[in-house]
Amino acid sequence: MKLTIDGKEIEALEGQSILDAALKANVFIPHLCSHPDLEAKGGCRLCSVEIEGVDRAVPACMTKAEEGMKVTINGPQAERIRKAAMELILATHPADCTGCPKYGKCELQSMYQYMGVSPERWRKKSRSVANDDSNPLVSHLFTRCVRCGRCIRACQDLRGVKVLDYIKTDVGIRAGIPEGKSLKEAGCRFCGACIEVCPTGSIIDSLKIMKEDRSYAENIVPCRSTCPAHIDIPRYIRYIREGDFEKATAVVREKVPFPETLGSICTHACEGECKRGELGAPVSICKLKRAAAATDSGAWKERAVKEAPTGKKAAVIGAGPAGLTAAYYLAKKGHEVTVFEKNEKTGGQCRYGIPSYRLPDELLDKEIADILEVGIELKTNTKAPSPAELKENGYDAVLVSVGTHQGTKLPLEGNDLPGVYVNADFLKHARMGDPLPVGEKVMVLGGGNVAYDCARTAVRLGAKEVHIACLENEQQMTSTPDEIAEGTEEGILLHAAHSFLRITGSDRVEGVELQKVDKFYFDENRHAVIELVEGSKHVVAVDNVIFAVGQKPEGTLEMGLALTHGPYIQANDKLETSMEGVYAAGDVVTGTKSVIAAIAAGRQAAEEIDKYLGGNGDISEKLLDEEIPNPYIGHIDGFGDQKRVEPQMAEAAERIKDFRLAEQPFTCEEARCEAGRCLQCDLRLNLTKPKLWTEY
Amino acid sequence: MSTIERVKNLKENECIVDVLLREVSSHVCKDCGKCVFGYEGITQLEMILKDITEKKGKQTDIALMQELCGMMKEQALCSPGGPGSHQEAMEMTDAILMALDTYRSDFEEHIGKKGCRAGVCKKFMTYHILPEKCTGCNECVDSCEDDAILGRKRFIHVIDQDECIQCGACVEACDEDAIVRAGAVKPRCPKKPIPCKRR
Repeated sequence: MKLTIDGKEIEALEGQSILDAALKANVFIPHLCSHPDLEAKGGCRLCSVEIEGVDRAVPACMTKAEEGMKVTINGPQAERIRKAAMELILATHPADCTGCPKYGKCELQSMYQYMGVSPERWRKKSRSVANDDSNPLVSHLFTRCVRCGRCIRACQDLRGVKVLDYIKTDVGIRAGIPEGKSLKEAGCRFCGACIEVCPTGSIIDSLKIMKEDRSYAENIVPCRSTCPAHIDIPRYIRYIREGDFEKATAVVREKVPFPETLGSICTHACEGECKRGELGAPVSICKLKRAAAATDSGAWKERAVKEAPTGKKAAVIGAGPAGLTAAYYLAKKGHEVTVFEKNEKTGGQCRYGIPSYRLPDELLDKEIADILEVGIELKTNTKAPSPAELKENGYDAVLVSVGTHQGTKLPLEGNDLPGVYVNADFLKHARMGDPLPVGEKVMVLGGGNVAYDCARTAVRLGAKEVHIACLENEQQMTSTPDEIAEGTEEGILLHAAHSFLRITGSDRVEGVELQKVDKFYFDENRHAVIELVEGSKHVVAVDNVIFAVGQKPEGTLEMGLALTHGPYIQANDKLETSMEGVYAAGDVVTGTKSVIAAIAAGRQAAEEIDKYLGGNGDISEKLLDEEIPNPYIGHIDGFGDQKRVEPQMAEAAERIKDFRLAEQPFTCEEARCEAGRCLQCDLRLNLTKPKLWTEY
Repeated sequence: MSTIERVKNLKENECIVDVLLREVSSHVCKDCGKCVFGYEGITQLEMILKDITEKKGKQTDIALMQELCGMMKEQALCSPGGPGSHQEAMEMTDAILMALDTYRSDFEEHIGKKGCRAGVCKKFMTYHILPEKCTGCNECVDSCEDDAILGRKRFIHVIDQDECIQCGACVEACDEDAIVRAGAVKPRCPKKPIPCKRR
């Protein structure tokens, strides 16, 4: 149907309000209490208009458009009502806009500036309420509440959580939580819809979770923005909650070809940023990924695409997570890819640097087989020719992703005695079924997860007494609290905050001399400063010492590429090396990082190389249809107190007997339960953002 | 009794501004908050009426209330025929409009700071110490937190009208019933304390 607004003819749908029809047609009518996703209530009257044949101003949000209607926005009656309404709102609203966190983004501020009114002719009154930061994630500054009711409608009708309502207080009526309850006590789902729809600065995100170096959307869904590969975490967690593990895995696979590997060993920086962490513990994002991937049937393959052959050839040196990821996407872009791997098997650090009780061979073999299936030539037990030679031999592009497979020793007295090992050799031999011999007592030097990998491997190889010593105290150590706890259960003796002075013994290792660290920090020049406790020197008698103090690349000196910081390959932000057409990615560029960082780098390398080879560099995939999640999440009593679910783990006494997988994946039931703890932070991004008048 | 009936049946000893203030203060709109003209409207009416009873009325207040009442009746959610659930709520605006018409002079007297004819609005009343009853006991002087009572023992006390805030505490303190409240007609009193005749 058609109607005219200020003489301009616009289209309206049957049943549509004048306000919705006008805004849709890009005709601005002031409004405040209406929101595109919420039922109109007509409380504020800022949208007052005049209709020919009606003797008074009517609210455009509550008036249905009719065929042939003639509407005037700025007629004298409507203007009088609109201005008075705005004046009345301002008369009791704090005037210190510049001190408000919503300054510049406030709909009320925008609207009164548009209207150019002030409350001078009315009595002023402040309805002061103390700011409330006692709730997790949400700050309440109800002094600024204008009673538009948008948060209440969002909470009650749109989300079905039914926590917020109009409440009566000593200073008047406002939005709030009835009966003086906290959000947690009231059963809040912490979805943030109230924050999203609040036109003023009354309900805002806690300032501490909003980081300045991230965009708004990145702050709202920090798990997704923190993941180096930007896996759509809330989306797959939602599918797990619904019991649809196939779709969940497909979501993960849109970004990474190693879902179960990551689900087993990822360093999960996402969980450190998970907003649920403000309510006890973060969602078990990593282990949920494993639960979904463990039952994967491969249905996602139906939607996976491979483009037509381009006739271009690419060589990848090193079949670790970075190299295999890049190879996978390059092959899907139609390039002919050959992967060279020095070792007998593929996987890089996933295979040779991570013990099989965390990541078994079968799991790795299955996921790598899926990657190779797209058509990749693999040459294992093969030392690759140099990049220059590869280019001469017809490869159009080369990716160096050899990782950091050489363990390093500290310059310590006795560091070359028989019985001293380095992490990389020790773990690799154990993984190949050809372990380096260990005596009764072993000491690992280092405080990261690799130190625990070495120590727990030594336990499984039969060592009776295994020590870890590191400079850092327990809070500073880079190993995860889980690793430390599981290691302790397996009998590992931790000497945190200890310096290693020398390895004792004349013909072979006999012990390590330690001294207690008082202070350990980095000064302004980033030099390590170690202050020792006098008189605390002592020798721990051991038969073997394993250095787990870092790893570096091997064989990069002969590649003919510019290097940096010693053996690391120099690459720019497009991963280009000093030689044209030769790229580098993963640990060999960044130093030892994580598997997920290597996969993210592999993706970037594929994009850059594809562009270099004449492609569009777009490796994004849609393995499942977009589905708009249900905004009605409902009320759950005690939601904020739900405890994190932990998967079944074998007893320590059983675990240390062999290299079998220690932790079981979540059962289907456990996974759905744990996924139900997700706050679904991404849902609020689906809410329509009201346009300010400057945008019309 | 509805507000309209209260206005129609205003008694001699009732002040129209005071009656309306009480009606507005207990009005149903104060407990709702769902619309601007209902909630902010009633808030403004309450503040304006309270100001008038407290000698703080402005010349523009009568017209302001008339305009506001007209808009409230037309635009509040509970306007007749509107979606609100208290369809009778806006009858109050009719009562105010009627009162502003019928008792306009009372409003003007309050706003012009001339007085409250019914002797209800405290801020328009003055307190006086009757010289024939005062014994000069000093009890009222001690009870006055604003030091508005002049005099000492066995002197007739006098209230300094510039300092008095009409709190009425001295009336309670006086055992001789010597302190009275006065509207338009004031008793004769000395300007300064003079020695007491009574003992």
